Amino acid sequence: MRLTIGIDVGGTFTDLVAVDQAGWTVFAKSLSTPADQSIGVMAGLDELARRLKLTRAEMLARTERLIHGTTVATNALLERKGAKVALLTTQGHRDVIEMREGLKSNRYDLRSPPPEPLIPRELRFGIRERLRPDGSVLTPLDNDSLTRAIAAIRAAGVTSVAVCYLHAYRNPAHEIATVERLTRELPGVYVSRSSDVLPQIKEYERVSTTIVNAYVGPAVRLYLGNLEQRLMEAGFKGSLFIILSHGGIAPVEEAARLAAGTVLSGPAGGISGSRRCAELLGVPDLIPFDMGGTSTDISLIAGGRASLSVDGGLVADQRIALRSLDIVSIAAGGGSIARVDAGGILHVGPESAGAVPGPACYGNGGTSPTVTDANVVLGYLDAAAFMGGRRPLNRTAAETAVDGVAASLGLSRVEAAAGIYRLVNLKMADGIRLMTLRRGVDPRKFTLLSFGGAAGLHVVEVARELEIKRIIVPTAASVLSAWGMLTSDLRYEVSQTYFGASPGIVADEVRDLFGKLEQKATSRLRAWFDGPISVERSAEMRYGAQVYEIDVPLDDINWQSSSLADEIENRFHDRHEELYTYALRGQEIVFVNARVAAVGVVPKSDQGRRLAFAETACVPVTTRRAFFGEWREVPVYALDALAPGHVLDGPAIIEAETTTVVIHSGDRLAVNDLGWLDIQVR
Amino acid sequence: MSAKIDPITRSVVQHRLSSVVAEMGEAMLRTSYSQILNSSRDFSAAICDTHGRLIAQADHIPVHVGALPWATLAVEKRFKDVRPGDVILLNDPYHGGSHLPDLTAFVPIFHGEQRLYWTIVRAHQSDIGGATYGGYNPTATEIWQEGLRIPPIKLYEAGHLRDDLLDMLALNVRNARDFRGDLAAMVGSARLGERRLARLFAEFGVATVAVAIESMLDAAEQQTRAVVSTWKDGVFYGEALLDDDGRGRNDIRIVAKVTKYGSDIEVDLSESDPQTTSFVNSSHANTQAAVAMAFAYLIDADIPKNSGALRPLRVVTKPGTIVHAEDGMPVTLCTSHPSNEIVEAVVKALAASCPDRAMAGWGRRFRIAIQGENPRTGRKFIWHMFQARPGGGASPCGDGWSSIGEWHTVGGIKFGSIEVDEVRFPLHFRHHEFRADSGGDGQFRGGLGVSLDLVIETEKPATANTAGDGARHGPCGLFGGKDGAPHYYRLVSPGRPPRVLRTKEVGIEILPGDCLEIRSSGGGGWGPPAKRSPEARTRDRVQGLVTDTQAVEREQ
Repeated sequence: MRLTIGIDVGGTFTDLVAVDQAGWTVFAKSLSTPADQSIGVMAGLDELARRLKLTRAEMLARTERLIHGTTVATNALLERKGAKVALLTTQGHRDVIEMREGLKSNRYDLRSPPPEPLIPRELRFGIRERLRPDGSVLTPLDNDSLTRAIAAIRAAGVTSVAVCYLHAYRNPAHEIATVERLTRELPGVYVSRSSDVLPQIKEYERVSTTIVNAYVGPAVRLYLGNLEQRLMEAGFKGSLFIILSHGGIAPVEEAARLAAGTVLSGPAGGISGSRRCAELLGVPDLIPFDMGGTSTDISLIAGGRASLSVDGGLVADQRIALRSLDIVSIAAGGGSIARVDAGGILHVGPESAGAVPGPACYGNGGTSPTVTDANVVLGYLDAAAFMGGRRPLNRTAAETAVDGVAASLGLSRVEAAAGIYRLVNLKMADGIRLMTLRRGVDPRKFTLLSFGGAAGLHVVEVARELEIKRIIVPTAASVLSAWGMLTSDLRYEVSQTYFGASPGIVADEVRDLFGKLEQKATSRLRAWFDGPISVERSAEMRYGAQVYEIDVPLDDINWQSSSLADEIENRFHDRHEELYTYALRGQEIVFVNARVAAVGVVPKSDQGRRLAFAETACVPVTTRRAFFGEWREVPVYALDALAPGHVLDGPAIIEAETTTVVIHSGDRLAVNDLGWLDIQVR
Repeated sequence: MSAKIDPITRSVVQHRLSSVVAEMGEAMLRTSYSQILNSSRDFSAAICDTHGRLIAQADHIPVHVGALPWATLAVEKRFKDVRPGDVILLNDPYHGGSHLPDLTAFVPIFHGEQRLYWTIVRAHQSDIGGATYGGYNPTATEIWQEGLRIPPIKLYEAGHLRDDLLDMLALNVRNARDFRGDLAAMVGSARLGERRLARLFAEFGVATVAVAIESMLDAAEQQTRAVVSTWKDGVFYGEALLDDDGRGRNDIRIVAKVTKYGSDIEVDLSESDPQTTSFVNSSHANTQAAVAMAFAYLIDADIPKNSGALRPLRVVTKPGTIVHAEDGMPVTLCTSHPSNEIVEAVVKALAASCPDRAMAGWGRRFRIAIQGENPRTGRKFIWHMFQARPGGGASPCGDGWSSIGEWHTVGGIKFGSIEVDEVRFPLHFRHHEFRADSGGDGQFRGGLGVSLDLVIETEKPATANTAGDGARHGPCGLFGGKDGAPHYYRLVSPGRPPRVLRTKEVGIEILPGDCLEIRSSGGGGWGPPAKRSPEARTRDRVQGLVTDTQAVEREQ
């Protein structure tokens, strides 16, 4: 028996999934240990081994690949607990990071003070050097100014340094010379170089990404080093891979080098899992809908592919311009707090009760009414059976909390709870609508893929709001991220800004640029991986006057064609038309960045085992009074007891240890041959 | 006045309406052609009813908030025969507009025979004809020199484009292609709103939506009144000064007399100085909007920006003053100046009424545009400076934001990449960092402006125009806080004496290798400098944000 193991470390739980070559899948969960995540990981491995009826050492000895999603970088950023970092940058340009291009998000809030940058100004050093936009040297690198900065860095006790000079994407010589001195004179200090991290034009994106990398790099390197050490000591002889924000996996050394590329490592597993679901279902267009305690993550699988973010976006208020999966996070989840404003309008979120104190019904001292409390009042959640009865909920506390909202609105308790339920559903539907329409996608043509602890309670109503007709709830819903990691391929990405000798696209230059990038990407990947490698190419392009580049896939293009430049331009026009309904053929096009990804395809265990249809009818385990426009006695089914071929009509409640699915009247649920729930929405 | 509606339906309708305008705005951002729209985001999307009441508006440009009702009323007054499929345009400040570059498109929303609402998109055009490129003409003495005037006209009649009219409009602007593209995006976005509203009607019924809207406006009013009623009653005065009109008239006063009683506020600007002969006059609608903007900054940020929220506010102006120009006067600068000064006068007046909310002065706008020939391409170029953003004002909650913008943009304009500008234009950004000592001192310090040294690397002489204000008067300090440093721009030319640039100039000659030394203004400080904590002072010094420590000690 050879195993592959996926491990997803979340805020509360560490999820683990093991698959053998026959596709036999085993899940385990352990409590996360935020101080040193590797402790929770090792405990989870113990539990997983127990469920496999092996010792941990036996299990690890048989494990070929271990794939890990980590939130170390994310937490370092969110909690501002990263390294003490200094910046070396071109003299006269120290404040790029703090200027944020002049933007501020909440336009009408003129009183909140500005955010603190990751590096305070006194640790941002201007170095005398300057390149021209063509990469030629205007002012040579001044060693004396570097000497002074290094002395100051040493005196300040800095543990990590970011280096970012203007136009270094065009000529990295000054940065490389600077890094050589830093490594020589400040051994042990983590160094992050912009021409290595993101060799692309636009200094704000580049410097911010380089700084984030320097900020989270030491913590990521330390953690992954510890984990690798512990695993080896425990008998693991296979390869440890880390899932990156772009959804590909890479070895530990690479994840530590490009640590900023791990900030979405956690949710990336969920998207890989969703993509695999699309394959197994034969449904290419899915909206993964992952609703948890404080937030809901929404992404998009279109044509079987996960969409990548157009402009990187912000994580914890920091700009990270590395390619990452396109994920929209809405501040709405089970812990979102309901309140009534001075005008008598009901709001849900963005404030959340979090895990501590948590919803009122958790009985941990929380008194604010949350979405979870509303679900208890409505009878959707069984207070006694929550978490398999290990953590029963306090129904009275939920009712008292919701009564507060009811009183302010002049409504009954259940009307208020139904209002909270409806509003949070609406909020998530709005999030999905903006997420899809902004990308030119009509959500009505998609299937919702429901996973994460709270999604099942809300998903049919969210779908109805969006006129989405079909919902899938996979068996692995509660550990989908860990499961998804097992299906991820190796991936190494490189990009480079294009500079033509003349305006427009010159075929030979572009061919040459992609050739070099491909060579770089595949040779790097080859060092980790001896299986088959495929290559994906794309270009970021825009019309002359535009400011938003779009990513244009260039797969299946004939690179030897004499009309290569025209073909690339046509791809751009077509893509633009597809996204924004029009193209401006004949207008000047700017080719900004070339991107190449080398992909090492790992064999997938067959996780799509088809199950035989049930010969027995499905029988509810009990009934419960719940509110569906009126109080009704509705059947409650055990998820574990449902089998392929079973069909049931709403209203009904389907319960499992870690998740509950609610369907309303008119909705019909069928169990498919994978054992997953397939819901037709009225 | 509202009929009974259940509070959940009301909340659902309100959230749905905000998502409709948000979606309209998103469509504009992604599909418009000109940089002023897709980068600087100088547009707004809204829904008004046929009484000109603002129902919902996306948060884009604060100075548009209170202006659209006036535009809607002008359309209602002009057209009694609106039909489904019509699209109406206007820009004229004497027909409900604010200034000529802001073109507004209206799509009527019907339910059956009944006309109920308008979806509206207002967008700043990159050019609107007239004597100078881009509409800002410091030499204009009457509005006809500022650009093409468009009263309410039908661009589409019952779904049919009047293409002869469109040709006429496009012929009168300098970049017809962008103009047509932007206009298509505006109409498309307003029609997207129409489609979404139709769905809302289908789901809830038009009567329920109407009741929900009444109730929503009442709720916003109630929320606003709840805030305002906690403020101190009384009659308060605030004053702010424009540097000049560019024609020798200096220190033009904006005077706000604010009467606050209970939860009502009247802002009377009648004592402001008389109108001038240049483009620093304000149109009536723009003044209304500027006061609404000041008010929006002082109430809670999360109160919906609809007509209900503005019900407690009454604005009084006197025709013939700088804030209410008479028909025919030039007004193009008004959305920035005197808007900035109007906001400041109102905030200063209300500072005595709500001291825990009022913030010190934010920066002023001082534009500079350079035209010349790019030696690398041999082509003409026009470059507009968005870098060197001024600082924001301090508030009782803390120091001001640095490099963030003016009262009327407040962090909404993205200045973009210096590397990209150096690649595209013959410009060298030698230095672009915070301008030390520019933030007004105080218990909380004003945000810093920016020092920019910009070397022009053309091979032939180039020319520059300016348009703006705030080179003599810095953003005001509050409660003992000091004013921010004013703007200070110089042209340093080898072989010529350095010369200070005025805020309203045309045809400035720039020789190859000349350097523009731009020093943008800092924000005003809040509270007495003596109360600034020693830790904050130390941090300012360590960070090099304040160097002139002696001056501070002298004050104390």
